[in-house]
Amino acid sequence: MRGGNRDAYADLVRRYAPVALRTAALLGAGPDADDIVQEAFIKAYGALSRFQKGAAFRPWLLQIVANETRNLHRSTGRRAARERSAWERSAPLLTAAGADDPAALTVSRERRAELVHGIFQLSEPHRQVVTCRYLLELDEAETATVLGWPRGTVKSRLHRALQQLHDALARPADVVRDGDDATTREVGYGA
Amino acid sequence: MAPDQEYDALAVELVALGRTLPWSTPDSDLTAAVMARLSTAPTPPSESTVERVLRRLIEVFGHNRRRAVAVVTALLIALLATPPVRATVADWFGFAGVIVRHDTTPRFSSAPPPPRVDRRISLQQAAALVAFDPVVPTELGIPHGVEVSADRRLLSMSWTTRLDGHVRLDQFDGRLDYAFAKSARGAEFTSVTESFALWFDKPHEVVVLNPDGTSRSETARLAGHTLIWQYGDTTLRLEGDLNRARALTIARSTTALPSR
Repeated sequence: MRGGNRDAYADLVRRYAPVALRTAALLGAGPDADDIVQEAFIKAYGALSRFQKGAAFRPWLLQIVANETRNLHRSTGRRAARERSAWERSAPLLTAAGADDPAALTVSRERRAELVHGIFQLSEPHRQVVTCRYLLELDEAETATVLGWPRGTVKSRLHRALQQLHDALARPADVVRDGDDATTREVGYGA
Repeated sequence: MAPDQEYDALAVELVALGRTLPWSTPDSDLTAAVMARLSTAPTPPSESTVERVLRRLIEVFGHNRRRAVAVVTALLIALLATPPVRATVADWFGFAGVIVRHDTTPRFSSAPPPPRVDRRISLQQAAALVAFDPVVPTELGIPHGVEVSADRRLLSMSWTTRLDGHVRLDQFDGRLDYAFAKSARGAEFTSVTESFALWFDKPHEVVVLNPDGTSRSETARLAGHTLIWQYGDTTLRLEGDLNRARALTIARSTTALPSR
């Protein structure tokens, strides 16, 4: 790499490291978020020649982050256990957040706990779509790119996720989720 | 409530939940680690391809080291009208409405204080004129001058205080505009709360563009220390004889006006 390009890429890394870290953390990278993001930037650089002209960099990078995060869990255990462990790594982030953030005032501590519990009850794909679309505030097209799904799938899963979340929040919190059932319903899932 | 409305309300709560998450600040160690690995890594797939793509994506983003000494930054506040062109690059270094470009004219050694805003309309009047929600940095208090450009796209405020001297704040709706910012010698990346920001420590030229994108040379002027950041969809530009820490303090104090 020549000096100028190095600087340019370093600026990209600085610019996108925060959102990449956030994405990795919320998709379940836990303490490995830093490593995942580092790896993603290395891979993104190597794949720059395949980057399509006119495409946006952010979703493309976050797609690599999402894949890397998935790979992190791929090596261990059954899928349901894996997905549960991914969520267990990101849930504390959500419940602990917002102690002195003005935005936190709009969602009370109790409500936040309910929401996090509700998200926990969702199947993995539904959790991912809620994470990308609302927690990370990606738009529909970006979410489709990051998760590697068709846009129609993003739309339908998001709707279904909201339905389920809504129903779960309306019910008392005594529902035990069957992880295997919840995930095997989503046959199309996978990257 | 109909189910769809309830889902909308739920979506709003989820967004609010996401916003309570702390943002990790850009970690220089991470950047350094990535760059160190890239420099020792075996040759990338095709260096020339990578270089070409980087060049295409980032345009003249990189520094030209031989010329760097003589380079100044020209900062253009682009107030482009229709159609709203959104360059891909905007998504990368997104400052809607701001173009930063290299210039080869000799470096200016000093800049005059920013032009004072002489008119004084009320903040409510200003808010009614522009198509975005104006903001005010509480750190500076009530502005001494407030005006809205004839095309109602740019809102300018100024203050004269003992602590900060003459300070000027320009703001406009970034969503309307072509957006493009380039790294430049003398510009540093920083952040204001969770938004990416650029700090210009060196004097540079500021030009306001015509709606068709051509620059109006008569509007060119020299600017001193400047901070550019975004607040929601609004792009803000703070200028004055401020150091970086003070500029960031002022920027962080920015709040929306009470609703109209």
